[in-house]
Amino acid sequence: MHAKIKKSRATDGPEDVYDPEHGKAIIIKNLVKKFEDVTAVNDLSFEVKEGQIFGLLGPNGAGKTTTINMMIGLLKPTSGNIYVGGYNVKKSLKSIKKFIGVCPQDAAIYKFLTGRENIELFGNLHAMDKKELKQRVDELLKAVTFTEASKRKAKGYSGGMLRQINLLMALVNNPYIVFLDEPTVGMDPRARRKTWDFIGALKEQNKTVILTTHYIEEAEALSDTVAIIDYGELIAMGSPKELMEKYESKNLEKVFMKITGRRIMEGA
Amino acid sequence: MNVQRISALVKMELKKIIREPAYLFMMLLFPLVLTLSFGLGFATMPSAVPGKTQFEFMVPGLFGYACIFIIMSVAQAFSDDREQGLLKRINVTPTTSGEFMGSNLITYTSLSVLQVAIVAISAFLMGYRAQGGVAGLILAFLFVMILSLCSVGLGLITATIAKSSEAATGISFIFILPQMFFGTFIPINETTRPIAMFLPSYYVTDAITMIFNGVALTDLNIWFDLIVVLVISLVIVIVGIGLFKRYGKA
Ligand SMILES: Nc1ncnc2c1ncn2[C@@H]1O[C@H](COP(=O)(O)OP(=O)(O)O)[C@@H](O)[C@H]1O
Ligand SMILES: [Mg+2]
Repeated sequence: MHAKIKKSRATDGPEDVYDPEHGKAIIIKNLVKKFEDVTAVNDLSFEVKEGQIFGLLGPNGAGKTTTINMMIGLLKPTSGNIYVGGYNVKKSLKSIKKFIGVCPQDAAIYKFLTGRENIELFGNLHAMDKKELKQRVDELLKAVTFTEASKRKAKGYSGGMLRQINLLMALVNNPYIVFLDEPTVGMDPRARRKTWDFIGALKEQNKTVILTTHYIEEAEALSDTVAIIDYGELIAMGSPKELMEKYESKNLEKVFMKITGRRIMEGA
Repeated sequence: MNVQRISALVKMELKKIIREPAYLFMMLLFPLVLTLSFGLGFATMPSAVPGKTQFEFMVPGLFGYACIFIIMSVAQAFSDDREQGLLKRINVTPTTSGEFMGSNLITYTSLSVLQVAIVAISAFLMGYRAQGGVAGLILAFLFVMILSLCSVGLGLITATIAKSSEAATGISFIFILPQMFFGTFIPINETTRPIAMFLPSYYVTDAITMIFNGVALTDLNIWFDLIVVLVISLVIVIVGIGLFKRYGKA
């Protein structure tokens, strides 16, 4: 049976499917999402280069989660097209699921399983080789120094610990493209810095990272490219440096204020 | 279908029950206490059937009783996981709906059959002796298995309708109560018969009663019950999976 799993992986693993077009990990064209009375995403278009950390920055309710959920196939767009790793989300979600990792905004964790078991479960759902999986889980837990607590049930974890496991679960399958939806919400400043280092290191592993955040420092510290969105619309895009130069501002908060007249964290 | 995915999901579901004392209590103690209470309460009471005690009359119904309650467990488990965002999370892995549903059907049907086994053993210890031999017992458990599958399907339908796990508990009683009252050991009259006709547990109790009373296993009435309950259950499972796939994840 093991040989069979190996064989199926050799022809069906993430590396055999991932096929980005001209170095573009993600292409979004004229994306619109309307709920009954709100337009959550309004004619959004952008491209994400392979190997970049792409920050989606915007206030609460800007449409970040809605955009991510459409990219990973959890929500159907009202109109527009999305290509992830060279595949149309509408048609080839099955292939896409093999090479992406998703860290949801609200930590989704089985509380009666240990941290380790949660990560392992998702490795098994990706049909990873058992030995490879164990190594991968060890490596991930070590990277965030979570080794001891990982043997305890998640029920007793603090909010910050849950967020860490939530993040590791998204990376167990060694995804080419990682979606991180507000990965550090609710972490204390120290844990946040540690997580930033960890996310920054993903770039060295040639992963493309889509990161949503409403923390200005987080977007500035991590992103190669930032897309600032407000009311579902793209209002500015570029490297943090480019944006600050263009709008003659010291930081991205000032950029946002210059364009909208409001603060990002307002009401958050 | 990928065996590794299914077995990982089944193990996870089993841990959910084993590690949650309240669940485990419900699962194991409920059928035991149920059977013992009825055994102690009705063992000496004569029934409407000459030569049979009320308890002996009730045992086939207790078999059905035990599998009906799995509806609530399934509905709660699914609503909980949905509230926690876990169904969405599984949905963005390569896991197919078939694998996901398959693993849940395997887990909860097995648990339900285990509960009935506890009923059977406790009834035996209380002095109940079924006729029909080993073949009869196997056939009775085939009925139990089908009814359990049906209950898992009804649990899925409940989870789809309910927006929270509290609501799931309440709504599951819509499927539990009629099956309990009109489909197990409470005698059917002319008013309740039209209701009972639509309840899978009615056919299961009817068949198990015949089997345990020593009716020949080739009797067509038993096989008629089997076909009816099989068809009802298949329809419910298919509807349950379909509804849940479409509306139950978000
Ligand atoms: N399922 C939904 N039904 C109705 N409105 C929704 C739904 N999901 C999100 N919205 C609305 O869409 C907008 C964008 O939400 P969201 O994408 O969650 O923003 P963000 O992640 O940037 O905080 C908000 O106004 C929100 O209320
Ligand atoms: Mg959000």
